[in-house]
Amino acid sequence: MKHDLQRLLNAAQSGAKEAEWIGLRKRKSDASFYMIRDGAFEEAVKAFNEGIMVEVLFKGSFGYAASADLSPEGIKTAAANALVTAKAVKDYTVYKFDSTVRPETKLEYISKRDKKAVPAVNELYAFMAEASKKLKAGEEIIQTSAMVEYGRYDYEIVSTNGADIEQSLFYISNFLQAIARKGDIIQTRSGNGPRALSRQGGWELLDIPHLLNMAEKTGQEAIELLSAPSCPNDKRTLVLMPDQMMLQIHESVGHPLEIDRILGDERNYAGGSFVKLSDFGSFQYGSKLMNISFDPGIGHELATYGADEIGNLAKKELLIKDGILMRGLGSLESQARSGVPGVANQRATSWNRPPIDRMANLNLEPGSTSFADMIKSIEKGILMKTNRSWSIDDYRNKFQFGCEYGVLIENGKLTKTVRDPNYRGISSSFWRNLAQVGDKNSFEVFGTPNCGKGEPNQVIFVGHASPVCAFNDVEVFGGGR
Amino acid sequence: MKIDNKARFDALTHRILNELQQGEYAALAYYGENSDFMRFNNCKVRQSGTVLQTELTIKLWKDKKSHTTQLGLSGNFAKDDELVSEALSSARALLPLLPDDPYQAIPDGSSVSEASYKGSLLDSKDIPSRILEPAKGLDFTGLYSQGYLCRAAANSSGARHWFETETFLLDYSAWLPNGRAVKSSFAGREWQDSLYKDKLDSTKKAVAKLDAEEIVLKPGSYRAFICADALVEVTDFFSWYGLGERGLRQGESAFLALQEKREAFSPKFSLTQDFGLGVQPRFNENGELAPERLDLISSGKLVNTIVSSRTAKQYNIEANGATEGEDVRSLAIAAGNLAEADALAALGSGVYVSNFHYLNWSDVQAARITGMTRFSCLWVENGKIVGPIKDMRWDESLYNMLGTKLVDLTKERQLIVDSMTYERREVGGCLLPGILVDGLSFTL
Repeated sequence: MKHDLQRLLNAAQSGAKEAEWIGLRKRKSDASFYMIRDGAFEEAVKAFNEGIMVEVLFKGSFGYAASADLSPEGIKTAAANALVTAKAVKDYTVYKFDSTVRPETKLEYISKRDKKAVPAVNELYAFMAEASKKLKAGEEIIQTSAMVEYGRYDYEIVSTNGADIEQSLFYISNFLQAIARKGDIIQTRSGNGPRALSRQGGWELLDIPHLLNMAEKTGQEAIELLSAPSCPNDKRTLVLMPDQMMLQIHESVGHPLEIDRILGDERNYAGGSFVKLSDFGSFQYGSKLMNISFDPGIGHELATYGADEIGNLAKKELLIKDGILMRGLGSLESQARSGVPGVANQRATSWNRPPIDRMANLNLEPGSTSFADMIKSIEKGILMKTNRSWSIDDYRNKFQFGCEYGVLIENGKLTKTVRDPNYRGISSSFWRNLAQVGDKNSFEVFGTPNCGKGEPNQVIFVGHASPVCAFNDVEVFGGGR
Repeated sequence: MKIDNKARFDALTHRILNELQQGEYAALAYYGENSDFMRFNNCKVRQSGTVLQTELTIKLWKDKKSHTTQLGLSGNFAKDDELVSEALSSARALLPLLPDDPYQAIPDGSSVSEASYKGSLLDSKDIPSRILEPAKGLDFTGLYSQGYLCRAAANSSGARHWFETETFLLDYSAWLPNGRAVKSSFAGREWQDSLYKDKLDSTKKAVAKLDAEEIVLKPGSYRAFICADALVEVTDFFSWYGLGERGLRQGESAFLALQEKREAFSPKFSLTQDFGLGVQPRFNENGELAPERLDLISSGKLVNTIVSSRTAKQYNIEANGATEGEDVRSLAIAAGNLAEADALAALGSGVYVSNFHYLNWSDVQAARITGMTRFSCLWVENGKIVGPIKDMRWDESLYNMLGTKLVDLTKERQLIVDSMTYERREVGGCLLPGILVDGLSFTL
């Protein structure tokens, strides 16, 4: 295939002879999605897509043309179009780039997988049918859903300055959900939240005995919530389990640290950031227990990769060290524009959208407190798990998040289950109240394929891993009109 | 490469439907676009380029089995024929392994429609100068998109639908150093410099009003006038856990209490799905047609729901041409009696909400939504603008906002076209009034 892409690069060069640099970014995706509802077939979908983005550099300006026509003639035309664009914007560009923001990387990367062969589709439906029975934990359950999705992304990049990259990422995602009703009260419980069990790897990720246990517990907890009181309205210590920490990290650390947001690129759509360029190196983002890493190397975490989509080699970096902001989520382009140190995170949803600054795997490093010791130390608190609601302002300050399941903590013990638990706060003051960070035993890996951003709009897959954490003095509240 | 999408869709339809085997049925949905995108920051170009793409969805039914294939097409006839052949072969191999589909709904309509709207758009190479030169002096940010797009559907019962248009949309905001901004958009089928200049002049005047000290509100309940540009963010919630019949039947909908008459909206509130807005076609991905107009909420009460053929089969009820996601399309909220010119006076003292941001359900069963104010929201006293507010979080049940606390809606309504570009440039839009609410709960 590399031979084909080199041939297409030659075709692109013949279509854009004045270009100072040309790159081809090919992306192929192949996905399968299976779902049942209430134990009955709901959907079976197979999706395939393939195309190339041709990018040219002319007098400091990039222009792109994306096309699924992979013939030499099609790529030649795309290159010519990209050059027209680059010329048209050369006097208006936000920054005069050069080819150093497109490194000459040579790389082959493939997801680590223990079990590579895909199970037969009837076996997958048999698993989902069995999970549905487990989810139906009682008559109160009015709907069950089970889903398995898997697929692969194949990336190839070649350029006139010698980049030559091939990456194949394999992923599996599953979802289990039960809805229960008693009278006017309806409660939903899902495995770890919508699509949170999205991970990179092979079929070892579909751990059927574990998932069937999870399905049974999910159904039981949906019923349990029907009789639970509503979450109290007050201030107390908040313990967040890793499947909610992923959302907390994503919204109140990840997005505000994206350098393109800080530079203003996203102001019209996704928003800006409360973080300023001058904050890097000194800003106290959180308590001394807060260590946030960009880590593209954790096995099974969804956004593990070898290089980003402009060819920058990916490696682990601490963004926040002992609570101090050290580094941003900024690509080579953003680093050139801002002067702030960054990471390899210029990524695109597919061949038809240009790469922009993105989270990848963004994690909270484990601390030293065991879960049991954490609970034992809390006099008045609440534990929340599994995200169900998320909203934050365009500067990533004022947030309100909700969870599926809460348990009160009273005098060092987990006591009553509560329904409709929510909490709100302001990002930096919330993180400065980070009081305890769980040890490696509570560290869990989750991901989501649905992070939206950019103009034109893009979704992308990201990974988040975290231990359980405790935050002091958080405003919590319940539901109801 | 120039693609004749109509010819391509006709050829693919002919080819696939004629290749069906005994007992097989199919529906095809086709999406095409040839788009220019230019992204701006600080009145300069951040990223710019073109996207040429076509996609085909093939639903295949045989006996009690159902399967969907989504294909990105290359535009090359021979290659696409191979892709389609592989897709059909793969689906046929998979079908016997799938469980029976108890709610299989094979479309039986044979309706035909065709709509084509030509535009007069900017030459690609002129976009930066025509957009940015008149905006000089503004901290101007946003996205300009333009070009051809089409939607089509066909099925083995004979339905054939085609929709194509050429449009432009500039979705932008103009900023002050204090972080306040005016958000606006300029859309249509024929670009006119003079209208664009008028739009920018209006933006420049509006942004100047934000150059005042920010007013910080305390949490509490405030009277609020919510403009159509803000209300559009709320309309998504009639689709997400919304008025779809399946969600109502299976406990996912936020409007179960409305259906069970435990809650009601204001008698002043009526909502319809109205394809008379002319912003998107009536056909769905299976080639089924929705009625031109469907009342959903009339005078505060639920009168119809959005029903797909699949849901109709499951519950033995009538379908109404819905998409499989049972979204409300071309949503319109009925006008009220408040003249827009009188909105500030009617508000008295409270918040003039220009835009909302990042809304989400905070409690689905209570139809409670949380979100933020954004851009140029203003504090008003005795009908006069005092100044911009520091953005506030709010958390309110729709049964309050559009029910007990709804004072009035404006006589004038605004057509807001869909600006989303996830995967592809979307079609669609809403016709909305502004609303006056006697108490919006600001929480943070």
